Amino acid sequence: MNIDIKHIAKLSRLRIEEDKIKEFETQMQNIVNMVEKLPDIDEKMILDESNPMILRKDEAVTDKYSRQELMANAPQVKAGCLVVPKTVE
Amino acid sequence: MLELFERNACELSDMLKNKEISSVELTQSVFSRIKAVDDKVNSYVTLNEEEALKEAQEIDRKRIKGEQLSDIAGIPIGIKDNISTKGLKTTCSSKMLNNYVPPFNATVINKLNDARAVITGKLNMDEFAMGSSTETSYFKPTCNPHALDRIPGGSSGGSAAAVAACEAVVSLGSDTGGSIRQPASYCGVVGLKPTYGAVSRFGLVAFASSLDQIGPIGKCVKDVAMVQSVINGHDKMDATSAYKDYSDLAANLTADVKGLKIGVPKEYFGEGIDNEVKTSVLNAVKELEKQGAVIKDISLPSTDYALSAYYIISSAEASSNLARFDGVRYGYRTENYDSLIDMYEKTRSEGFGDEVKRRIMLGTFVLSSGFYDAYYGKAKLLQKRISEEFNGAFSDIDVIAAPTVPTTAFKIGENINDPLKMYATDICTVTVNIAGLPAISVPCGTDSNKLPIGLQLIGNKFSEQKLLNTAYAYESISDGFIIPKL
Repeated sequence: MNIDIKHIAKLSRLRIEEDKIKEFETQMQNIVNMVEKLPDIDEKMILDESNPMILRKDEAVTDKYSRQELMANAPQVKAGCLVVPKTVE
Repeated sequence: MLELFERNACELSDMLKNKEISSVELTQSVFSRIKAVDDKVNSYVTLNEEEALKEAQEIDRKRIKGEQLSDIAGIPIGIKDNISTKGLKTTCSSKMLNNYVPPFNATVINKLNDARAVITGKLNMDEFAMGSSTETSYFKPTCNPHALDRIPGGSSGGSAAAVAACEAVVSLGSDTGGSIRQPASYCGVVGLKPTYGAVSRFGLVAFASSLDQIGPIGKCVKDVAMVQSVINGHDKMDATSAYKDYSDLAANLTADVKGLKIGVPKEYFGEGIDNEVKTSVLNAVKELEKQGAVIKDISLPSTDYALSAYYIISSAEASSNLARFDGVRYGYRTENYDSLIDMYEKTRSEGFGDEVKRRIMLGTFVLSSGFYDAYYGKAKLLQKRISEEFNGAFSDIDVIAAPTVPTTAFKIGENINDPLKMYATDICTVTVNIAGLPAISVPCGTDSNKLPIGLQLIGNKFSEQKLLNTAYAYESISDGFIIPKL
């Protein structure tokens, strides 16, 4: 299996510096070679119906946190809104 | 005469109840210890001294008034830095969250606050809990208190080192593939990875949601039982939290193992396991046999594939969990960018360290079109098989005994450039997470370099009491925790 590190980085929204590509490629290659060693199991995944996840009922929750508290960690805020680069021309 | 910071939580709890000491004295004692040794050990990322002393004063006031307080009221506890603490930085030891202050508490923190434990601060870890040595921390590597040139293990390396160095009486860690048990073993302390679903994950910064579990680390089994009894229980904020009632684990501790069936799986004692580790663990099993336990040889054949399945499943989940770090709502944002994609890519490339990048890329790869069935699909089938093998074993035995880690603590820098060597240190611990089982690591002697060795005991789902009892029985006939010279 050949690993195209630039392609995987792009899918991961990461950018690998040119001088580190070779190192990452070798490491990823070794990791993939290791995880490839899985036996073929002739079975299909079936959901365990005896153990369904019990979901809570939907209920309206009144805001415990103010907008200000929740936005306190944002890198850039303007007039109570998160600032992001222009996405629509 | 032991200093207060050197004592176990269970002893201190009695001393506090009997008013032999105050919470303020105890808290001051622990902070004086932190100031004396943390320059060498580097357990802490953030200290919470002022708040801790305020809380201690409040507890003393309540005790004088005669209010009913919990067993861990006034006990200083350190928290791994991936557990959200309102108003106190929670960084995951990453540049990405270097300035992040949670607006809410994790459920376990609310429970500790209700029980009036005293939070000393936040403990160092591998970045986003990805690593086995605490060397991937953005801030600094933590050192093993028993040998400062060696790693404390990881990813909860700060949590284990702080307890071993007596910089916290107990601590919380998190365990996705061994991250509580492995550092506990390397640092010669006790670490419990609870059954998946026993402890709420709400507020634990997610790494691999189907495997992550918060658990306690302490100097002795009873301390771990005391903390576990406080943090377990159903929580509606975590959809994977189990609906279950739990009894008081510490109050019900007994050292009786008469008739207990202990399985010894041959796959955990094979190639790659250090001879001194093997001998110590098997001697511990023999000691339990002398106490009346029945020993049986068992086989868990899929163990050889567990590491592969673990790295596929955990990285797959990590790649999607860490997609939230995009520089928009919280965390680091790159300074210069010319478009949204450019901002995402630069933010993530500058904010994450190399190990986190490797895991995200591995996860992205195994989930990508054309490879999903060959990797992720197969790993999930293997997960099922591993669970079935454990179920089969537990129809016949009570507890499984194995080494926690194949070797004792290695030197800082020894494996950091070889991811595969680093991953291999998880070989004895990952199966437990894959099957959602509880397991505990308890000290079982040292090697020729005086480095601690851990005995791992694995139980069936929700058998924490049985595990703790077995560990307690062994602890009562062994040396247990040894205070390192610092």
